[in-house]
Amino acid sequence: MMLDNEVLKIDGLSIAFGGLKAVDNLSFSIKENEIFGLIGPNGAGKTTVFNCITQFYKPNAGSLLFRDRKGEVQELTRHKVHEIIRLGLVRTFQNVELIRELSLIDNVLVGGHIDFKSTVFEQALKLPRAVKEEKALRIEAEDILRRLGIYDRKDMIAFGQPYGILKKVEFARTLMSHPKLIILDEPAAGLNDVETLQLAQMIRQIRDEFQCSILLVEHDMRLVMDVCDRICAINFGQFLAIGSAKEIQRNPAVQQAYLGNSEEEQHEKDSTVH
Amino acid sequence: MKKNNYLKNPYVQFILFGLVLATLPIMAQTFPFIKSGYIITIGGTLIYAIAALGLNLLLGYSGLISLGTAGFMGLAAYISAYLTVDLGWPFLASMAVAVIIPTIIGILVGLVSLKIEGMYLAIATLAVSEVIRKTFEEFDFFTNGFSGKAAKFPSFFNISLDRATTYYLIVIVMVLVMILMYNMVNGQLGRALNAMRGSEAASQAMGVNLLKYRLIAFAFATAFAALSGVLYVHFVRYSYPSIWSLKLSLDFLAMIVIGGLRSIYGTVLGAFIIFAVPDLFLKQIPYFNQLSYMFNGILIILVIMFYPNGIVYLRYDIKKWWKKIFDRKGKVNHDVG
Amino acid sequence: MSIFLQLLLRSLETGSVYALAALGIIIVYRTSNITNFSQGVVSMFSTFVVTALFINTGMPLWLAILGGVASAITVGMLIDFIVIRHTKKVSPVAKQIITLGLIMVVLGITPLFFGVDPLTLPRLINAGDLKILGANISYNGLFNIVFGLVLMFVLFYVLQNTKWGLAVRTTASNEYTARLMGVPTKTVTMFAWGIAGVLGVFSGVMVAPMTSVSLNLMDQVQINALIACVLGGFQTFYGPIFAAYMIGISANLLSYYVSSVWGGQILYIVILAFLIFRPHGLFGKKIIKKV
Repeated sequence: MMLDNEVLKIDGLSIAFGGLKAVDNLSFSIKENEIFGLIGPNGAGKTTVFNCITQFYKPNAGSLLFRDRKGEVQELTRHKVHEIIRLGLVRTFQNVELIRELSLIDNVLVGGHIDFKSTVFEQALKLPRAVKEEKALRIEAEDILRRLGIYDRKDMIAFGQPYGILKKVEFARTLMSHPKLIILDEPAAGLNDVETLQLAQMIRQIRDEFQCSILLVEHDMRLVMDVCDRICAINFGQFLAIGSAKEIQRNPAVQQAYLGNSEEEQHEKDSTVH
Repeated sequence: MKKNNYLKNPYVQFILFGLVLATLPIMAQTFPFIKSGYIITIGGTLIYAIAALGLNLLLGYSGLISLGTAGFMGLAAYISAYLTVDLGWPFLASMAVAVIIPTIIGILVGLVSLKIEGMYLAIATLAVSEVIRKTFEEFDFFTNGFSGKAAKFPSFFNISLDRATTYYLIVIVMVLVMILMYNMVNGQLGRALNAMRGSEAASQAMGVNLLKYRLIAFAFATAFAALSGVLYVHFVRYSYPSIWSLKLSLDFLAMIVIGGLRSIYGTVLGAFIIFAVPDLFLKQIPYFNQLSYMFNGILIILVIMFYPNGIVYLRYDIKKWWKKIFDRKGKVNHDVG
Repeated sequence: MSIFLQLLLRSLETGSVYALAALGIIIVYRTSNITNFSQGVVSMFSTFVVTALFINTGMPLWLAILGGVASAITVGMLIDFIVIRHTKKVSPVAKQIITLGLIMVVLGITPLFFGVDPLTLPRLINAGDLKILGANISYNGLFNIVFGLVLMFVLFYVLQNTKWGLAVRTTASNEYTARLMGVPTKTVTMFAWGIAGVLGVFSGVMVAPMTSVSLNLMDQVQINALIACVLGGFQTFYGPIFAAYMIGISANLLSYYVSSVWGGQILYIVILAFLIFRPHGLFGKKIIKKV
């Protein structure tokens, strides 16, 4: 079913909303330690695809195979949305849904939620197991913040922090769960050129240092072409093409989806000028 | 240096707070202007604060509105009164049952909350509270109906308490509740509830099981309300159906909104503002009842408009102003020097 | 059979009261995005105005009611102008709590204006009863039912067929977009609060003769109106109205045929159970979240 070096295999994914097919028979797979891009014009269905992967929506058809943290193959549709992160699949949010009133490190600790084994009572009474757990996870969170370069801000309240910092905190949060696949939801939105370059660097750093795959869902073409090993293009919820950055750029179907019939128009213009 | 750190420890602060409150009965005996009636007022305020802390867990941290706090508090009050007076049960056993039964009902309401959200949920809790209040009026054998039910001061381990010692018990319970709450909200539970409130989708993506945490929130909120109900009926020593009205539930809401959402001291402050201040000071003014209603209402509106997270956060602004004045003074000295 | 018919007719009257109150709540909800918990007490205040005018100045009842309408519109608009308008940045929960604060303010102000004793408001039509198919219904009750229906029809007509109605529906659908398209949403919102006040005073004046004009006059109506909105769904204007009549009818039928004491409570429990299966009410639509 799934190759040894694949971490996610999507086969025939379909979902419709009230008669409108948002995703139509889509298939692709992502390898281990790969940075994989998913692109398409506005409304192509990119968001819907990864909402289906994370089980926020339940697909109508198709299989979603995932190799979890323990190396076992899981069918994602058999799991509830809050169980997905336990398998090693985590996502970021375009609107950076951090908790404004909490500190940066507390926000990162939310990402470690699944690693807490102590019960509410143990926490309320501050029994040793709960205290030890909290301490250990806090050290881990500090370590991640250090590696992303924002350790010095760890106790600052999230509210009012610059957007770039919040983005890093969101990354840190996903890394707390030791993921095998991180889905990035338009991480370049709202960043300028310099920041986008830094983002590309960070994406590579995360893949290299934390040994995980990244599914990058993005609009910003430069980032995608720059950082992705392979890219899948979709439109109207359907598969268009898959390949390296160069291959995708040259693919006529992709060009048409983004730019319309511009190649043909160009030919006509040339001929009339004559 | 060491003394400074000692005082900054939150647990020490809670205990010191309790000790200060515990001096009241002694002060009432020593100073004539502190009447012994104040013990009832402050004791009542602390009891309300316990229920309000539970509501804060539900609304402040988890973002779930409940208008049923009064109903659960009343239910626990009646259960404990019935068990101790009619069935002669020991106080501690009655307290346990009187807390457990409403908590179970609270958990059932929590189950419902997964399907019903926001305003729909608030109104559903209102309906539940109304049904409970009706049982107070109708189940005569249990509640004595409109005539009200009487109970006595607590007694356990062969000690019978009186008003002053019951007050001490209340202070102790309140400090314990504050400590428990502090531990809960500053650990994994607090973060999970905050995440749930901020964004259900994001919290689920982080592994938070919404159903489980909603149930936990409702369970604790109801348990605190029930605990407070038990303390109420054994301190005030009576319970009427009309006490457990929508207005009381609204008062709890006012306490945490005005005092401070997600703030433990804020909640106690809110209880003082809504209950103790009118009871202690404004009683002398004519039309006191109506004015205190108006006062509370206007306060709620103003606080939401200008301090949406509660008056307790006023202290940050005070610190800022203090610093400004302080800095200005420093600047002047510098220029002169 | 005649008892059943009588119950039905009575229920239509109670239903009218709930429907007018529920409509007041839903109009404010759909334009200001607030569940106005204070609708009940504000109606109570307006009813006091009517009663005070009637008793103290000896003017005919219908004139006093007009006075009450004028006061209700003013109070409604004032609330919007002074309070609600300044709460744009406030969270939805906090907005709800503001209306709870309003309740306390009104509960405090009313006795200061009108004293602490309950007052009596007579019925508009005292002409006696009508017999339909063996069931009794007072002319007043019949008038209330018809008036309520006419008022609601007029409102619906205005909503569907006039420029103002379109402005209200657009604001109700999406306030931000409406503003961008040039709809004077601030005026629409104020207008909506005014109308809610009018609906409130009418429902208050209908209920008052059956009991006495006191602080708790509208408590039961308020609770049932809220439950009607929940049952009917907050997404439509007609949902809560339909639900209000259903509540009026079911409550009465349950009280008579099942249990006079627990009838209302049984109804609440049934509605709660229903909500579990249809969490958005009879006519509510589930909004699919986009993340």
